[in-house]
Amino acid sequence: MLIIGLVAAAILGPFYTWRNTDNPSASRFGIASAVAVAGAAVTPIAMGQCGFAAESTGVDHLFAYGLMAAGALLGLVALQALFDRADGKKRDTVAMTGEIRTGGYRMGWWVPWLLLSPTLIILLVFLYRPAVETFTLSTQLTRLGAPRSVDVCFSNFTEVLIDDPFKLVAYPLLAIAAIYGARFWVKRAAPGSLSRRGADLAAVGAMLSVFVALYAVFSPGGGGQVAYRPVYVNTVIISIGIVALGMVGGLAVAYLAFREIRGGTIYRTLLIWPYAISPAVAGVLFFMIFDPTAGVFTHVMDTWFGIDVPNYREHAVLAQGAIILASAWKILGYNILFYLAGLQTVPIDQIEAAVIDGASAWQRFTKIVLPALSPITFFLLVTNLTYAFFEVYATIDFMTKGAPAGKTSVAIYEIIRVGVNNGDLGRGAAQSVLLFIAVIGVTLWQFRTSGSRVSYGGA
Amino acid sequence: MRYRLLALLVVISMIIAACGSGDEDTTTTAAAGGGDDGGGTAEVIDIDFWVAFSDEARLGFAEDRAAEFNTKHPEYNIEVTSFASYNDAFDAAVLAVDSGEPPGIIHFFEAATRQALDAVGADGNPIFKSVTEAIAGRSEILGEPVVLDSVVSAARDYYTVDGSFYSMPWNTSTTVMFNNMEILNAAGITEPPATWADVETACEAIMGLADGPSGCITWPNHSWFVEQSMGQQGELLANADNGRSGRATEVFLESDGMLAYLDWWKGLSDSGYYTYTGLQRDWDGTSNAYLAGEVAMLIYSSSDTTFFDENAEFDNQASFMPRNGDVDYVGNLIGGATIWMLDGMDTATEDGALAFMNFFSNPDNAADWHQLTGYVPITEDAVDLLEGEGWYDESPNSKVASDQLAAAQNTPASLGALLGNFVGIRDIITIAIEDILVNDLDVATRMAQANEEANKSLSEYEQLYGN
Repeated sequence: MLIIGLVAAAILGPFYTWRNTDNPSASRFGIASAVAVAGAAVTPIAMGQCGFAAESTGVDHLFAYGLMAAGALLGLVALQALFDRADGKKRDTVAMTGEIRTGGYRMGWWVPWLLLSPTLIILLVFLYRPAVETFTLSTQLTRLGAPRSVDVCFSNFTEVLIDDPFKLVAYPLLAIAAIYGARFWVKRAAPGSLSRRGADLAAVGAMLSVFVALYAVFSPGGGGQVAYRPVYVNTVIISIGIVALGMVGGLAVAYLAFREIRGGTIYRTLLIWPYAISPAVAGVLFFMIFDPTAGVFTHVMDTWFGIDVPNYREHAVLAQGAIILASAWKILGYNILFYLAGLQTVPIDQIEAAVIDGASAWQRFTKIVLPALSPITFFLLVTNLTYAFFEVYATIDFMTKGAPAGKTSVAIYEIIRVGVNNGDLGRGAAQSVLLFIAVIGVTLWQFRTSGSRVSYGGA
Repeated sequence: MRYRLLALLVVISMIIAACGSGDEDTTTTAAAGGGDDGGGTAEVIDIDFWVAFSDEARLGFAEDRAAEFNTKHPEYNIEVTSFASYNDAFDAAVLAVDSGEPPGIIHFFEAATRQALDAVGADGNPIFKSVTEAIAGRSEILGEPVVLDSVVSAARDYYTVDGSFYSMPWNTSTTVMFNNMEILNAAGITEPPATWADVETACEAIMGLADGPSGCITWPNHSWFVEQSMGQQGELLANADNGRSGRATEVFLESDGMLAYLDWWKGLSDSGYYTYTGLQRDWDGTSNAYLAGEVAMLIYSSSDTTFFDENAEFDNQASFMPRNGDVDYVGNLIGGATIWMLDGMDTATEDGALAFMNFFSNPDNAADWHQLTGYVPITEDAVDLLEGEGWYDESPNSKVASDQLAAAQNTPASLGALLGNFVGIRDIITIAIEDILVNDLDVATRMAQANEEANKSLSEYEQLYGN
């Protein structure tokens, strides 16, 4: 089975080079073939071909082939860069970077490296080495202080997925097909036509199909599998909730605070304060507000309005809502800060022109202000999503501890619960790798979709 | 240009050199400072004591005892470091062993006794050393009388593994019930309920009160209470006599006792008698509900007896944890933590650590600790001292925990389980209970699922640590 993968890599190499290089030649095909085979062989050698062992399942084979393909592609991309350099082909770079390249550093190629070395060493020791160790740990069953560890191949990953290899491949492929199909339709349909409207709808639906595909791919539990589907659902709901509420709220408050009002500076300063609070403190604060026995909110609702507020920790929707509210409130100050800065760059002349042309306030906001803020919005989308993925542990731990019955346990909470609190390092590492892949995936997707629509003014 | 670069390199190398010598300077100063603190010319031996308490009262107690010991034995310096949890302290200790700078003694909890016994350093040797073995039959160390032989039987039996003490008991408690007698009396109940049926009867009366509390009873959703109930009903939690005659390889989360207890619990919850705060391991929320008069009864750790006596604004009476009246009572178990000694210290350091541990639980200190908190007096000598002072006549609630432990039979079920991956298994239990209470699930079905998860977790642990 390993041979099939290697032969495929040997064919892939020349094909890739043929499609991507300016001067295809027999010798280049040979080199590409060798590089692809070598790249594909790295993971099976490092992991002792465990993905193809006797007791391995179809899903294991899938992982093994996937890693071989990834290794081969990485090798080929690096090789292509070498070929391009040999061909004298330069990649498009922003004008400024070009100037730096041609302008400075006539002292030798190693000088920039020397100057970079302190940063590189720190990155290597504190970022890259732990990252590589996380990947190693994710293939093991191990605990801190254990006399031995057991290599479990991909089982830390396969146990959170459905155990049918065909569905595992088919669902994501269907989602990708839907996206490309919708994109094709959008291109073909004439702007403004009924068909175009349908195509736009289909594009949205295709994007949603990615979420559905992932939902179908994660295991609902049972049969020795880990129920990761609920964690995925919680993560999607809570992350999207935090980002949406945090950004819409941030923009709304910033827009209000930006107007000329008495004491505006004080307001603006105070509004940014929640950002200086740690996620743990945010969790404690909202715990104090909504707690059914000691909470301010529940007390006020009860004594003033006679409304008996249920315990938010016993209802999934309320618990998730409380987490979203607390986390969005905490990131609000950060968003306000950036939007306030961004609002100062909105071109006044365009607004004045729009006023003269009779545009309403809402039209001015949607047609001029929002587009002008799009770089900020894009930047905030990435940072807010990173925050929602990685920094909500403390808030959740103080407010719900995952209650009710795991309905507020998001990916990062689950990683710390499993990996740190229960000491199951291998599973914790595997789930970190999943989150790592998710963040890379989401960021790439944002760059491809939102990135193209961002307007940076004149450039 | 070349010269400028050379100059840069020279500057860099000078900075590096400066940093290097700077380090040496600080080390010497620190060493000199340490010597001055000791007040003599002799070398002072530092022993780190890692404590998993961070509240002022308990951590303060440890710090004060360490300071007293340091004054009494100027050749030693016991230094207390606080950790937020037992797990944090333990993980830090394992890593510190690997990096070659372990603490001397560390405070670690009962549920992870198996894990502590099994833990090894990078060299493959156990990281802890048996206290009994280190004491080697001595009756006093550095003038401090050895108190290990006087440890009360409940703690002795729990912590004796393979016939000897591995660690020195410190904070030991059991579960007791606190009763708001004003509410109980108003409902016509004169004695704290003793059995499950009594609790239900009392709750029915209390919830019928016109100006009664919003709930009747609460306790934290913590696996410790489940384990207590298994002990009371004589039900094993794990095979190999609860892991005491060999390594436990299987847990029993679907036993009759387990289902009976959870059915009772769910029944109380369904009829609105039991108040769930909505959080697992919620010690604060449940105790606040009791102190605020929102429930009439609270099942809790005896470790906070003094706290409730001081803070309850009503007649607060402690009683035994309610038991299943349909089966014979076997016994409640202990909870809490002990002090573990790390292996690999030289004789002088080890003797200092042993002397401190015995000083720490000498009759005076053990009695003070009990009065400060409500943890049971850990030695018989401390019990005698407290009786002589008339302490129990003064605060009868403080005696309930010791009485309950004394009433227990010494069986594997009432000793509690020694189990690998116990922390993770406790998690599985409390999540299942939360699921049952909040989502109204069938007890037997949900516990069957929990049992499967727990057994998988245990078998993985045995793969890593077992023989």
